[in-house]
Amino acid sequence: MRATKLHADAFSGCNPIVNFMYFAFVLGITIFFLHPVLLGISFVSGMVYSIYLNGGKAVKFNLAFLLPLMVAAAVINPAFNHQGVTILTYVRMNPITLESILYGIAAAVMIGSVILWFSCYNAVMTSDKFLYLFGRIIPALSLIISMALRFVPRYKAQIKRITNAQRGIGRDVSSGNVIVRIRSGLSILSILVTWALENAIETADSMKSRGYGLKGRTAYSNFRFDFRDRILVVAMLLFFAGIIASIALHRLSVLYFPAFVINVPDGFVLVAYAEYLIICTLPLMLDIREDLIWRTLRLKIVSSGNKSSNGADV
Amino acid sequence: MALYEIKNLKFKYPESETFALDGIDLSVDNGEFLVLCGKSGCGKSTLLRHLKTVLTPHGKRIGEILFSGKPLAEADLRTQTSRIGFVLQNPDNQIVTDKVWHELAFGLESLGIGDAVIRLRVAEMASFFGIQGWYHKSVFELSGGQKQLLNLAAVMTMQPEVLILDEPTSQLDPIAASDFLATIKKINTEIGTTVILSEHRLEEVLREADNVVVMGDGKIIAKDAPAHIGHKLKALKDPMLYAMPTPMRTFLALEESIGESCPVTVREGRDYLARYAGAEGMATEVGYKTNGAGSCHPQRSSDPSPVAVKDVWFRYEKNGEDILRGLTLDVRCGEMFCVVGGNGTGKTTALGVLSGLFKPYRGKVSVLGVDTTKVGSAALFEKGLGVLPQDPQTLFTRSSIRDDLLDMVSHGRHAPSERGFTASPAEVLPEIAELTEITTLLDQHPYDVSGGEQQRAALAKVLLTNPKLLLMDEPTKGMDSFFKRKLAGILRKLRDGGMTVLIVSHDLEFCAQYADRCALFFDGNIVTENAPRAFFSGNSFYTTAANRMSRHIFEEAITAEDVIERCRQAKQR
Repeated sequence: MRATKLHADAFSGCNPIVNFMYFAFVLGITIFFLHPVLLGISFVSGMVYSIYLNGGKAVKFNLAFLLPLMVAAAVINPAFNHQGVTILTYVRMNPITLESILYGIAAAVMIGSVILWFSCYNAVMTSDKFLYLFGRIIPALSLIISMALRFVPRYKAQIKRITNAQRGIGRDVSSGNVIVRIRSGLSILSILVTWALENAIETADSMKSRGYGLKGRTAYSNFRFDFRDRILVVAMLLFFAGIIASIALHRLSVLYFPAFVINVPDGFVLVAYAEYLIICTLPLMLDIREDLIWRTLRLKIVSSGNKSSNGADV
Repeated sequence: MALYEIKNLKFKYPESETFALDGIDLSVDNGEFLVLCGKSGCGKSTLLRHLKTVLTPHGKRIGEILFSGKPLAEADLRTQTSRIGFVLQNPDNQIVTDKVWHELAFGLESLGIGDAVIRLRVAEMASFFGIQGWYHKSVFELSGGQKQLLNLAAVMTMQPEVLILDEPTSQLDPIAASDFLATIKKINTEIGTTVILSEHRLEEVLREADNVVVMGDGKIIAKDAPAHIGHKLKALKDPMLYAMPTPMRTFLALEESIGESCPVTVREGRDYLARYAGAEGMATEVGYKTNGAGSCHPQRSSDPSPVAVKDVWFRYEKNGEDILRGLTLDVRCGEMFCVVGGNGTGKTTALGVLSGLFKPYRGKVSVLGVDTTKVGSAALFEKGLGVLPQDPQTLFTRSSIRDDLLDMVSHGRHAPSERGFTASPAEVLPEIAELTEITTLLDQHPYDVSGGEQQRAALAKVLLTNPKLLLMDEPTKGMDSFFKRKLAGILRKLRDGGMTVLIVSHDLEFCAQYADRCALFFDGNIVTENAPRAFFSGNSFYTTAANRMSRHIFEEAITAEDVIERCRQAKQR
């Protein structure tokens, strides 16, 4: 069995393009459109997904950090923002309005959702996926990063080797006065550079020998863009377009100041809500589907295992 | 049809007087397995590098190289990249990226191949080489042998017609080396890829070859099948004979006939010896008078043991695995003590403990009468400890060998006078340079000389500290048999001068021939130790080729010289 999990969840196993698109859509709508219903959907699904991904750690984080932050954000807005027509009370001559309270809550939920979604983003978008996405745009960059990731630890290991070797002939870097130490430190650095350049010649030979420098270099990655990815991209694009269309047609709208006005929930709008709910809970749906499949598979395995062990007993 | 056709190739490096390649005529057939051997610096690498244009060194060149019937230079870069695979010596330097999968794909990316095809080719190679288990790993997690296998696989993904390997196993331990060579053979026989390989360690590779080319001074001395190359070398009285596998050397020393084919493998050697013994009516239990090679050096029992290790336990991290498990070791004054054993058994860690780099958490380590758990490595050095690390390059800090050595003599905190040198630095330096045979190299940059020469320059540097106890980690790594003999000669001289030498090595043949005592390291401690003759004849698998070949006839014959001598003795009787 593997010591480390390959994927955080089923959704992480999708192509990074799908992952990135998903987060771009959800975060975009969450940040730029403070619609209470959409925010609510975003917040709840972000919360559930982050707990699904990070487990107990996420629950602790949400209670200890996220909740106080959101409360603070919700309180601060009405304390400083006095716009709005529905005045509830006065605090030291300053009006507290219903609109600014609502806006504060909306902003707090927005901030909370963004943080939740970013915690999911971190779990899903590992560095190699990020590298892959940028390798699509600039192939040379992904190679350079990959080479840097190879060389830095190599140099560190070599410094250690040189230090130990020098110690064996009485050149201990960690002893003597400052000047002696600097002297031996510098000589180690100088020989490291010589070593690096010398070895780079062979690395360059190895690269040239494998055709580096030929025109039309591609950037290979292990990520496949399969049928499921295609379906997910198309579905997300459709739903996203649907939501954007309803916003553009003012069917989905919200106004906080001067007075709180929200769209009527007609059929068109309900469809938009549903679309957003599907987008937000997409990873969860994938995960739950996969979990269910695993469970039934395991049940089958267990029952067949029992059968065979019974058979062996007989 | 010949794949490569080299016609009268001459090559001179810039600013060099002599030809590095001097009239090479060679043809390599499709599907051939060709082994190229010769002393270090005979032009093997230069010749191999001429077989792929991007790697060809600059210089003056006459002659012609044809690849598939056309001049090699006319084949464009793309064609050469995919059709000619090249694996270099150092496993680490050839790896470009940080992940195994990325390394495998590198060549195909260069060729501009799409994801789907790369995926297929990479999958094929990973399956063929059995590396799917580490496909997602970082390259740092791999061992040296795995790295070289990865380099090979990364070249094979481009499906080359010919695979050229320049001393690919010189940096590997014997087990990894034979795995690697087995893979090469598999590629040759199962895929039909032509293989051109240069190598020092001929015991393993020669039996796989179709043809052997022996080079010397930029010329081809001999070319023939492995079973017949020996006769040619013998007729020419060429010193490369000494580098041939033990069965072959034994045969050639005992037989005068020319026509018969030479035994190459241990099995053939055994059969041959059995036949020989039968023909000569040799008694199988011929006693052996210990003399010369491998004899125990008179022990100077008056001095205390320079290395006394008792029940030492060591691990790198508190919760880590124990690397040394109750290690007990006693090295006597003025002996050459060899520790052999597989990779990852803790040999190098043991050296680190002896040189004061690591502190054991249990047990006693006394080096030159000092308890290493109490003092630092500086104090040990003060007492006369010298350490030659595995990689000699880590010792050099200056831009010429002379400066490096002078630095040791003059600028150090430990001037030689403190350490018992009576002569002045000006006299000591040439003396040591003479001893290590680097006098002609003194003005070169330490990185410009060959591996074997670097090793000797590093040894000179360590010797200038006038050590009483010399610890060496794999001193014969990457050396040809001639350098090994030179090194052994130097070490003998030092030992006779009273120096104690502790060597950690994989090189069984070297230890069998030159050690005073040998010890087998396994699982963090020493399993058995004895004089080489008793040590190696006591083992059945972990022993020299000469012993495996002759153990059914002789007891305690552990080198080719032993076997030859005893056969001659038996014949005379």
